[in-house]
Amino acid sequence: MILSFARVIKFSFQDIFRNIWLSLVTIIILILALFTVNMILVVKVVGDAAVGAIKDKIDINLFIKPDTSEKDIEILESRIRQISNVKETRYISKEEALILFKDKHQDNPEILQSLTELGQNPLTPTIIITPANLNEFDNLINQLNALDSNIIESKNFTNYESMLEKINSITERVSEAGIFLSTIFVFITLLVVYNSVRVAIYTHRREITIMRLVGASNWFIQMPYLFSSLIYSSIGVIVIMFLYYPFLALLQPYLKAFFVGYNVDLVNYFYSNIFTIFGTQFLVSAIIIMLASLLAVRKYSKS
Amino acid sequence: MIKFENVIKLYSENITALNRINLHIKPGEFVSIVGQSGTGKTTLVKTMIGDEKIDKGSITIGGWDITDITQSEVPMLRRQIGVIFQDFKLLNKKTLFENVAFAMQVCGGSSKKINTIVPHVMKIVGLQKKMDRYPQEVSGGESQRAAIARALVHRPKILLADEPTGNLDSLNANEIIELLLRINKFGTTVILVTHNREIVNRLKRRVVTIDNGTIISDQAVGRYIL
Ligand SMILES: Nc1ncnc2c1ncn2[C@@H]1O[C@H](COP(=O)(O)OP(=O)(O)OP(=O)(O)O)[C@@H](O)[C@H]1O
Ligand SMILES: [Mg+2]
Repeated sequence: MILSFARVIKFSFQDIFRNIWLSLVTIIILILALFTVNMILVVKVVGDAAVGAIKDKIDINLFIKPDTSEKDIEILESRIRQISNVKETRYISKEEALILFKDKHQDNPEILQSLTELGQNPLTPTIIITPANLNEFDNLINQLNALDSNIIESKNFTNYESMLEKINSITERVSEAGIFLSTIFVFITLLVVYNSVRVAIYTHRREITIMRLVGASNWFIQMPYLFSSLIYSSIGVIVIMFLYYPFLALLQPYLKAFFVGYNVDLVNYFYSNIFTIFGTQFLVSAIIIMLASLLAVRKYSKS
Repeated sequence: MIKFENVIKLYSENITALNRINLHIKPGEFVSIVGQSGTGKTTLVKTMIGDEKIDKGSITIGGWDITDITQSEVPMLRRQIGVIFQDFKLLNKKTLFENVAFAMQVCGGSSKKINTIVPHVMKIVGLQKKMDRYPQEVSGGESQRAAIARALVHRPKILLADEPTGNLDSLNANEIIELLLRINKFGTTVILVTHNREIVNRLKRRVVTIDNGTIISDQAVGRYIL
């Protein structure tokens, strides 16, 4: 049994090398298919990161009139806390706001200069509201608008919801395109593998005739071609692994520039999930390819 | 050893390759099967090795009813029957030794077994000095002898030879027939399909004549009658 298996492997390698160009084409197509599949994954990771980044920034600022007493502010804050969709509130006093402002603009002497020229603190105290549920964002805004309090100077509700929707729809569309492309590539891969096995069997038709004649089992005749497809998928996945990390590293600076201050580490994501990502891809591609070659073997290796 | 009972084989509605064949061959016999082209001789050989299914009747080989043999049982049958053809069916990229060894490799024979049996069968066919040559470096007769050696590696009880001398001159042809007779002497049943009148007449063995898919004559010491 072990002996037969060793011979199956040997025959399989002979089969691969005898049609080396065809084998290469098969592997390249497989790599292209895997590349698009991984692209979907990248898009998903980036999209999730973008959504996360925006969600982090979704706060509502209530600007308070500068001369309001601390007590009035506390009353307002506790009223706001009672609104159902409020996760938390944070009060930033005039002084704190100034510190934050100076901190933010510390590299910009002109702004700091004009601040000193003003002679007084021009900033207003703020209540920052974090919503609990983004889907009910509109509702929250309505409720805040309904708050009648004469200490509120102005409200700033950027409508992040439409932005989120935009990002979601972009990721969705890119994913759809990716899935479409992948489907095409998977289909092409199936055809190419099927054809390679067919050609491999055709090149070995004399051997196969003789093998049948002298009583080799069907298992032994068909196994090398199935094993070859296993080798194709191993090579494909290994190559894609070595191609993908440099590719991601190349992509990384652009992502960083895009998501300033937010951590989107694709390389790290692919590193920490290496076995899940590429293990699944190996399994799936091996199964698909084996299926294609099994069909070809069944059909063409008959005497 | 071999029993055909009322065997009918149709390739299509109007091609009847074998028509009610009844044939008994005892162990150790040497039988020649003769007949004109297209009368069903090769078909007869194919039905014996499970290469063609028959439509009616039954075939028994060594007590094994192979009439409804399954695909997975065919290899077992083939290991018990050696077959040689007019066109030798050797692999040109392998030496004679490798060609013979191939038959054992693909059936799971160990290297140790291969290295004792292959030289042994090569000696039987008289090729022990040419084992490392490639098929294109030896004569047709030698190629056919290598094919015979390959047919012998599983120690078959039956050797089927479908026109083994068809591509050979009379000198080489005679050598092959001599070899088949020698193998028959060891106890192997030999079935020789041939067109060669001289050979059949000189053999003075059993001759079965087929015409149009039917056995028209079966003589214990026969002559070529067509
Ligand atoms: N695969 C096939 N499909 C259809 N008809 C076939 C097939 N093989 C053989 N035949 C037909 O069956 C008949 C018997 O063929 P077979 O090959 O058995 O003849 P044969 O006696 O071996 O001839 P030869 O002496 O020329 O080798 C012929 O009429 C042939 O045309
Ligand atoms: Mg014939």
